[in-house]
Amino acid sequence: MIRLHNVAKAFKGKPALHGLDLDVPRGEIFGLLGHNGAGKSTALGIMLGQVHPDRGEALIGGVSVQQERARALEKTGAIFEQPRFYDYLSGWKNLEIFSSFSAEVPRAQVEEAVEIVALGARIHDKVATYSQGMRQRLGVAQALLPPPDLILLDEPTNGLDPEGIHEMRELIKRLNRERGITVLFCSHLLSEVEQLCDRVAILNRGRKIFDGRWSELTTDKQRVRFEVDEWERAAAVLAEIPGVAFGGRAEVLLNDGAAVPDLVKRLVEAGIRIHAVEPARRNLEQVYLEMSHSGGEDLNA
Amino acid sequence: MSLFYRQLRGELWKLFARKRTYIGFGAFLALEIVILIIFQIPKVQRSWRHFIERAGGGFDEYFSGLTLAFQVVYWTTFLLGGLYIALVAGDVVSKEVEDGTLRMTLCRPVSRVRVLLLKYVACLIYTAVLVAFIGVSALLVATARQGTGGFFVFQPLEKLFVLYEFWPGLGRYLASLPLLGLSLMTVASVGFALSCFNMKPAAATICTLSYFFADLIFRDIPYFESIREWFITSHTDTWYNIFRVPVPVQLMVEDYAYLLAVNATVVIIGALNFQQRDFKS
Repeated sequence: MIRLHNVAKAFKGKPALHGLDLDVPRGEIFGLLGHNGAGKSTALGIMLGQVHPDRGEALIGGVSVQQERARALEKTGAIFEQPRFYDYLSGWKNLEIFSSFSAEVPRAQVEEAVEIVALGARIHDKVATYSQGMRQRLGVAQALLPPPDLILLDEPTNGLDPEGIHEMRELIKRLNRERGITVLFCSHLLSEVEQLCDRVAILNRGRKIFDGRWSELTTDKQRVRFEVDEWERAAAVLAEIPGVAFGGRAEVLLNDGAAVPDLVKRLVEAGIRIHAVEPARRNLEQVYLEMSHSGGEDLNA
Repeated sequence: MSLFYRQLRGELWKLFARKRTYIGFGAFLALEIVILIIFQIPKVQRSWRHFIERAGGGFDEYFSGLTLAFQVVYWTTFLLGGLYIALVAGDVVSKEVEDGTLRMTLCRPVSRVRVLLLKYVACLIYTAVLVAFIGVSALLVATARQGTGGFFVFQPLEKLFVLYEFWPGLGRYLASLPLLGLSLMTVASVGFALSCFNMKPAAATICTLSYFFADLIFRDIPYFESIREWFITSHTDTWYNIFRVPVPVQLMVEDYAYLLAVNATVVIIGALNFQQRDFKS
């Protein structure tokens, strides 16, 4: 659905993106994760044709945004961390004005979008009287007009209270599930991306340092967790095996050809009861922090 | 309804629904009334009697609604018209950039050129509506106070002293309004062009006003007399020429062609800059 090919951008000589490649498959909720300043908004700006890349191009639905922006964005909606509206106009009028820049949108479609975001009772009030949560929902409504195949979301939960964040998350999931809309979700909030996205790309200082499924990120095949009756005795047995090191309580790091079946065999021979052996799942936050402080090294490599 | 018309309607809605816009119209009306009150001061009226009688007319006949309406339009436009048009045109792009609403628009499959075209047309329509409002309201208020009668066109800086009967005078007065609108569209164009650059809305407005005031001041300095036609305000003032007998049609066509070229040039420069800009939070 989205493909970025070798996209680079610098602002006043300061690089914001270094040759970014990205593929977002159709129908997924894809996360773009990174600290503030990692390059997420620049990448999003390039996808929307708001930022001119120094090299490379962005394709949406196979159409180049840089060559044929209008056609590429025909079926694309977007909202930013704080969607901006004409505060002195009603929510309805704002929807009419913004959607008129895409296509002639029938009244019934506007009503449907308003209903999806549950703004019906206040839609004819001035936006100046809306809460932050209502503005965000109005932002989603405008992104749904006319009905898109792809929605780009830049930090859409910023400034929302926990209830608002939950509502927004459920709304995004519903749009993806019921309407098959592909979602690109940019955030610096790990938990948000984790709860929403099937796959994720992590940016750090303008470089992609990971691209894949969450499970690939958190599961380390070289790290095994044992659940045994007597860990101290088990550790002593395992320490005798070449290539075994310890990564924490009940966790073993396998190096130099050490294999799980050999470890299990030695423990059984020593009469230690084993309840479970599984790949250790690292704490996601820890993994993310490790990666983002790794100086931009590509951890997929 | 075509998409362009819908989009233009949206632009106009945004422009005219702003409190500043309709408060502005109220301000013009208030200024017109103040100017009319000044014209009721006996010392001022004595001067007018002198000017009208020197031009060969009778004070009671020519100190009329039309005569005062022209003065009101001239002074209102000079004191507030340029300011308001510079304010609106200087805001039209830069304020939306500052507020972030333009970024919302530029998420849409619409070209930047089209967005600018819509905003520019909206600015021109605003200018036309403002001039029509000033012209018609001045005529109504002045006629309500002073009644109908002959029309004494008095513009000493332009050496313009002409007497008209009511109907021919009304015709010239009404014809002058679209011409004044055309002249003020140059202020709108310069404000709009500056608004396309990466600057604060207030900066675009101040730069526009500064340019026109400087242009006006330098134009009237005697040693610049030989290059007077180089100043834009020499050409924007051509709207008065509709009151001359005979009307210098060729001069006016040349002046408006010059202004058209200026408008096109500055707007294209602004649009080219806008086209190159990156929009990012």
